[in-house]
Amino acid sequence: MSADDLEEALTRRTQNAPPELLSRSFFFACAALSIATTIGLVVLLTGEAAKFFSFSAPLVGVTGETATVVEFLTGTTWEVTSGKFGVLALVTSTLMVMIGSSIIALPLGVGTAIYLSEYASPRLRSLLKPGLEILAGIPTVVYGFFAIIYITPALQSFIPDLGTFNMLSASIVVGIMIIPMVASISEDAMSAVPEELRQAGYGMGATKFEVSTGIVVPASLSGIFSSFILALSRAIGETMAVTIAAGSQAKFLNPFNPGSYTEAAQPMTAAMVELVGGDITGGGIAYRSVFAIGFTLFVITLVMNIISDLVAQHYREEY
Amino acid sequence: MATQNDSSTAAGGFGRVSRTAGLLFRYLLLAATLFGLVVMTVLLLYVANDAFQPLTADTGWHLTYLATLLAPAFAVGAHLYRTNAEALQTGALAVGLVVVSLLFSGGAALLLVDVVVPLELFAVAVAVLAPMAVVVAVVSRDRALSFTAQFATTVAAFYISLFGLPGPLESLLGLPSVVPSLVDAVLYAPYAPDPWLAVTLVVGGSVALAGSRFVAADRGRRTQATVAGAVLVGIALGAFVGPLLGVDPMPATVVAAVGIAPPAVYATGVAANREHERIGLLLPAVVIAGTGLGALATDALGFAGPDSWVTWAFLTSPHSRFAEQAGFYPAIAGSILLMLAVAVLAFPVGVGAAVYLEEYAPENRFKRVVDVNISNLAGVPSVVYGLLGLGIFVTYLGRSAGTILVGGATLGLLILPIVIISAREAIRSVPNDVRNASYGMGATRWQTVKNVVLPRSFSGILTGTILALGRAIGETAPLIMIGAPNVKFAAPTALGEAASAMPLQVYAWSSLYAGEEFYQKVVPAGVVVLVVILLAMNSVAIVLRNKYQTGE
Repeated sequence: MSADDLEEALTRRTQNAPPELLSRSFFFACAALSIATTIGLVVLLTGEAAKFFSFSAPLVGVTGETATVVEFLTGTTWEVTSGKFGVLALVTSTLMVMIGSSIIALPLGVGTAIYLSEYASPRLRSLLKPGLEILAGIPTVVYGFFAIIYITPALQSFIPDLGTFNMLSASIVVGIMIIPMVASISEDAMSAVPEELRQAGYGMGATKFEVSTGIVVPASLSGIFSSFILALSRAIGETMAVTIAAGSQAKFLNPFNPGSYTEAAQPMTAAMVELVGGDITGGGIAYRSVFAIGFTLFVITLVMNIISDLVAQHYREEY
Repeated sequence: MATQNDSSTAAGGFGRVSRTAGLLFRYLLLAATLFGLVVMTVLLLYVANDAFQPLTADTGWHLTYLATLLAPAFAVGAHLYRTNAEALQTGALAVGLVVVSLLFSGGAALLLVDVVVPLELFAVAVAVLAPMAVVVAVVSRDRALSFTAQFATTVAAFYISLFGLPGPLESLLGLPSVVPSLVDAVLYAPYAPDPWLAVTLVVGGSVALAGSRFVAADRGRRTQATVAGAVLVGIALGAFVGPLLGVDPMPATVVAAVGIAPPAVYATGVAANREHERIGLLLPAVVIAGTGLGALATDALGFAGPDSWVTWAFLTSPHSRFAEQAGFYPAIAGSILLMLAVAVLAFPVGVGAAVYLEEYAPENRFKRVVDVNISNLAGVPSVVYGLLGLGIFVTYLGRSAGTILVGGATLGLLILPIVIISAREAIRSVPNDVRNASYGMGATRWQTVKNVVLPRSFSGILTGTILALGRAIGETAPLIMIGAPNVKFAAPTALGEAASAMPLQVYAWSSLYAGEEFYQKVVPAGVVVLVVILLAMNSVAIVLRNKYQTGE
């Protein structure tokens, strides 16, 4: 064998050999599927929502009942049977769940994060973290059931005029549900704060309390903030707990009035479940209205996720 | 911390630190941390109380179990805690393993009784193993075989074995069948193994192989073969012991293979390999003996147990309008099948995407787009994924609503981002040195992925996948959106059949059948079953992860 042949045999280009090509294309296809999912989601939601609105329905060749964008976005009555599609009646309820749950989850979640990252001993942390994970793993339908069976009756002994279905207990369970999310993302941000900053604080004579609140929290503020936004977007998209606990009557309520939390209302997700649960088949305005709500929901959560990403990236302190 | 001590040498207020604010803050934080956990524990206790109704049992029943089970187990646990904490961990793991594997054996028995025909399982197993053996034989004969030839042999061997010649073309082109597939050959063979034998060979065989590896990892092939044989014989014995206890031979072998063999193998392995922790096995022994003794004693003394709603009848009967007769069986079967479908669809794709992003993708725009896209997909509400399933699979592709296949595909898309993210983390934790070492040996990228990266990140990937599967079987909203039936009266037997699922059944009970009886008893029972299954899955994942983290 000559030296050339030997070199040829030893330095065979393998980049495009069949096994390489086959495996690489498989892996690429898998990664591309995630893009295809997004495209599918966007095309489907915009397509069906376009059939719903009167300005775009002729463009996609749909005749029949439609709703105007103005009516959809500014109307305050949601009654599918009488053709009233005012999504504000649903959005305000969603907003109420968001506000109510954030009152519970944001302080408790940040408190948990500070405790886990600054105070807890490693042993305690190894117990608490799986506990929180389990909290996050309990199905949402179970949370909804807890709200209606245990929490509402318990609240009724304090607030006599609380109905069986009410926004208060729905908000409370959604709040408990998103605590682990706030806690784990915030804790990641706090653990990323370098030890030198803490030591510098102690060197200046600060107490642990001062170091936690004066150094660690400000330094990880961007992470905490992005955890808030992600958790709120989770609260908006939460479905089963609010479907079971909040009721099935779309009602326009003032989300900033504490009194309205004792009433039943229907958040966006609950309305979607109710509409599909009824007998609607492909086509028809009721079917399309589900996609219109879904489109609104998708856009809101997408915008929130993007804002959270931007916050985390832009205001991240580089250490 | 020096700063927290009062310093008496400092003049005036200098150096004086108030500890009140710090202490108050600390306890406030602890309270915040515990709030969610405590609330949830209390709620779970309430629901368990409603489901099991422990207060309806005789006092004697409680006292008997206190004497036979709780007191000895607590005593052994306390003793181990003080003398040998590692042994206590081993013992607790063994107890957990007993519970979890009994749970899984129930699921497996259900599948084999109602959905998969054991003989078909056996036929498919033979038809998969035979071509594998052929390929291994061919490759080991001629090591210089080109990839194309290897690939062609593999494809041909599997095709003939699974489909026969000319296979699926036969009915299309009207060709006569020349060679029957191995599956058919086994199915229509003059001698077919009994269901219990088929199960013993397939399920028991795999358990025996894995078990022998665990027990006799470094004791040579001979010991391994002996152990595997012993395990297999033990499982086969189940078929003969089962009927004595009133269980059919086939389910008995399943329970023996999936429920009893793994903990037994684990215990044998610990006893044989870890002398120091051997004492910990006392804990599972006491628990099992105590349970058996308690059952015998309460039976003999005539103490009535609690009027629990989680009973054998509840687990094995279908839904009913009457709370007394309502059961969970079709929903459990539906959830198990859904989980299998989701796992088959989401696991390879998720891992593939993660491998692409971590090992192959150049730092370009495509990778950044996929990155952002995956994190956004993870934030899309589950109900919107339900819309995707409804719009694409049901309305556009015209699949019938609510089938296991449609549900599995929808839930698979839902957990795909989670699987990808956790698999990427696991792959990223493989140190770069081992990759470079592999490349340095002249391995190609695919060889490195196959031989180095995937094996080393496998347990991490598995942990993430189990957690994601737990999320998938807990989801209700997407199933409602794709039109899964609220109420099914029989377990699904095919992938194209509409199926209910556990959370969906719970939702149906708490909405359609809202009434005192259902709220107080049936729904809590369903919730307890659902939560127990999810907790079992999550604890398996967490144990796996801890093992993997300490193993590195």
